[in-house]
Amino acid sequence: MADFFDKLIKEEPYTEYSLDMFSRSTGKDHAEIMQFNRWRDQVSNANKYTFEVPHLNAQTPEITVRRENGDEYNLISFASYNYLGYSYHPQVVESAKEALNKYGLGATGSPILNGTFQVHKELEDKITNFYGQKDYGVTLFSSGYGANLGTISAFVHKGDHVVLDRSSHASLIDGAVLSQGKISLFRHNDAEYLEKVLKRLDYKNSRILVCCEGVYSTDGDYGTLRDIIDISKKYGAAVLVDEAHSLLVAGEKGRGVCEEQGVLSEVDMIIATFSKSFGGVGGCLYAKKKITNYINYYARSRMFSCALDPGVAGGLIKSVELAGASDGNERRKRITENANYLRSKLANHVDIGTSSSWIIPIIYGDERLTLPLSDYLQKNGIDISLMTFPAVPKNKSRIRAFVTSEHTKEQLDIGAETILKAAKEYKFFKD
Amino acid sequence: MEHYPSDDLIIWEFNFALTTFFEVETDLFHKYLPSTINPMEVSPGIGLVNLTAFNFPAGGLNGKLPEFQELIFSAIVSPDLSRGVPKFAMYVLSLGSNCQEHLIHSADYYKLPIHGMLTDTIVDPNSISIDYSDKDGKILNMNNCSPETNFRNEERYFQAFTSDGDNLTIADCYIEAPLFEHQLTNDAGSLNVHPFLKNIDFELADPLPYLQMISRPGEIGRQFYYRPSKF
Repeated sequence: MADFFDKLIKEEPYTEYSLDMFSRSTGKDHAEIMQFNRWRDQVSNANKYTFEVPHLNAQTPEITVRRENGDEYNLISFASYNYLGYSYHPQVVESAKEALNKYGLGATGSPILNGTFQVHKELEDKITNFYGQKDYGVTLFSSGYGANLGTISAFVHKGDHVVLDRSSHASLIDGAVLSQGKISLFRHNDAEYLEKVLKRLDYKNSRILVCCEGVYSTDGDYGTLRDIIDISKKYGAAVLVDEAHSLLVAGEKGRGVCEEQGVLSEVDMIIATFSKSFGGVGGCLYAKKKITNYINYYARSRMFSCALDPGVAGGLIKSVELAGASDGNERRKRITENANYLRSKLANHVDIGTSSSWIIPIIYGDERLTLPLSDYLQKNGIDISLMTFPAVPKNKSRIRAFVTSEHTKEQLDIGAETILKAAKEYKFFKD
Repeated sequence: MEHYPSDDLIIWEFNFALTTFFEVETDLFHKYLPSTINPMEVSPGIGLVNLTAFNFPAGGLNGKLPEFQELIFSAIVSPDLSRGVPKFAMYVLSLGSNCQEHLIHSADYYKLPIHGMLTDTIVDPNSISIDYSDKDGKILNMNNCSPETNFRNEERYFQAFTSDGDNLTIADCYIEAPLFEHQLTNDAGSLNVHPFLKNIDFELADPLPYLQMISRPGEIGRQFYYRPSKF
C-alpha cells in the first residue's frame, strides 16, 4: 500500500468513515465544511482524489480520464450505466442532432407551461407504445431523481404511508420525505417482513404506497416483485417499481423486471430513468393515463423544473425504438452473456454477493481500503464504481462492475484479471 | 492521539465492552434530547440508540473502586466537528452501575444522568453477552450476533453530550482497545420496557441492530474520558 495511505489511515482515523460523517455538525460554525475540505485537500494534494474525474470521450467501454494534476489514464470502464451503449449509438446521436437543430438547445420553460415540444409528445407515445398497454400514459421528467421525487410526493400526502425496501435509492426516500407521508422500511426483498410492517399500519383507513426496485444497484440482485405485489395488494397498498437499472435491459422485450416476472399489469406505477440503458438523461413515470394526467400537474419537481432538453428527447426516441426491435434483442443477449462471463471469472475468487444481473459487486470489506483501491484500479487500467459505509454495511464495502452489451471478451478478461490482482494486493482474494 | 495526565482526564481500564446501536423510530426518543441537538438518522425517521455495557476491573479512580459493571443508554446525535471527527456522538440518556461510588462520581464529574444501581449483572465473556437488571426488573440482555470476530487494535474517538441543568456539555472520549465491529442484523438481544430505557416499547418498535462494537474479552482496553465542558 502506498505510503500516503498508510499515513492517512494511521493518523487520520476518519479515513474509515464515509463522507457522510462530514454531512452535519452540531453548533453554529459549519465545522462540517471545514472538516470536509481538510479531507479533500489532503487527498487532492496527494493526487489520490478519484471522484469527479473528467472523461475526455464518450461513455464507451474504453475511456480516457484526466486526474486533477493533469495525468491522463486510458481505462476500461466498468463504471458506466450505459448498459446497451445507446449514449454513443450513431443513430441515437443523429436523432438527437435533428431535434437539436429543430428545437434548439433547451426547452426554456416548465413542461406544464411553455416547455413542452412536439418531440416530448413523440417520446411519450414511443414509450407508451413500447409497453403496449391500453389506457396507460407517460409523464416526463428532466431527471430520474425528479421522477421519483415528483411522483411520490404528488401521489402521497400527509397522513398517508410510504413503505420502502431498505435498499431503496435516495430518490425514492427523498420523494417519501417530500410527500410528508409516514415512512416505514422493510428488510430488503423480504415480503414476510413487509407484511409485518403493513399490518402495523392502519391499512384499512389510510393510503399506502409500497416502493421497490427492479434491479438493486447495491447488490445487483432482482426485486422479488411477485411476492411484494401479492402482499401489498392484500393490504390495499399501491405499488411503485423503480426500473432505473432494468428497463430496456431485463425482460424478453426489454420491458424490465416487471415483464420478466409477469407483473406488468399489476404494478401501479413504473419509474424509468433515461440516464442508464437509454443513454441520455431524464426520467419518466409510466402508469394508467388517469394517474399520469394528475402527476403531470401536481409533481413539483416537474412543474418547477425546465422540461427535458429537446435534443435529448430526440435521441431517447431512437433509443426506445432500437431497444424494442432486433437491435435491442441482440444487445440484451450480449449483456447477459457478458455479465455471466465476468461473474464466472470472479465468483470463485472474490465475494460477489447475490448478484444475478449486469451489476456485479466485488466485496472487499474494509472501508479504509476504498481510496487506495480506487487509486490502484485506475492506475492499473480500469474504472470501476465504489460503494462504502454507510451506503453498505460495515466491512461490506465494495466495488461494483457495471457490465454493458458493448464490452468485448478481451475487455472483460482484462477487467477480471485486474480485479483479481487487486484482490491479492489488498487481501480480499478467496483462496 | 497523545493523552497527557491532567485533572481533566481520567483513564478507565476495562476488560469487557459490548455495545450495540439499534435502529428505532426517532420519534420514540427525540423528546428526550435538548432542542440544540439533532439525532443522526440512518433513514428519514429512523434514528439510532446505543446500549453499552462495560466491565471495569478493580482499581478504577486511583484504586478507589472495586470491580463493577456499567450500562449506558444514549441517543446518537450530530457531532461537533469543530473538535474533530468522531466515530459517533451520543447524548447520554441513562447511566447505571452496580457501584455507588462510581455513580456519585459520574454525576459529579461527568454530569451524567444517573438512573440508579444495577442489582443483577451477568457478564459472560465466553459468549460475549450480558444480562442486566435493577430494582424495577430486567432491563435488557444483549449478545454478540456475529459468528466471526476480527479484532483491530486502535484508538476510536467519541463525543458525549450531557445536560448540566440548563447547560449542554460535551466531553471527548477515546477508546483504545482491540475492538471488532460488524453490522450483521441477527438477534442481538432484547430490550425490555423499563424506566432505565425511558419505558420505550422497543419490542413494538422492532429494533434492528445497526452496528455492534465488541472488545476482546479479558484483554485490557483503555478509555480516555475527558471532563466535559460547556457546549
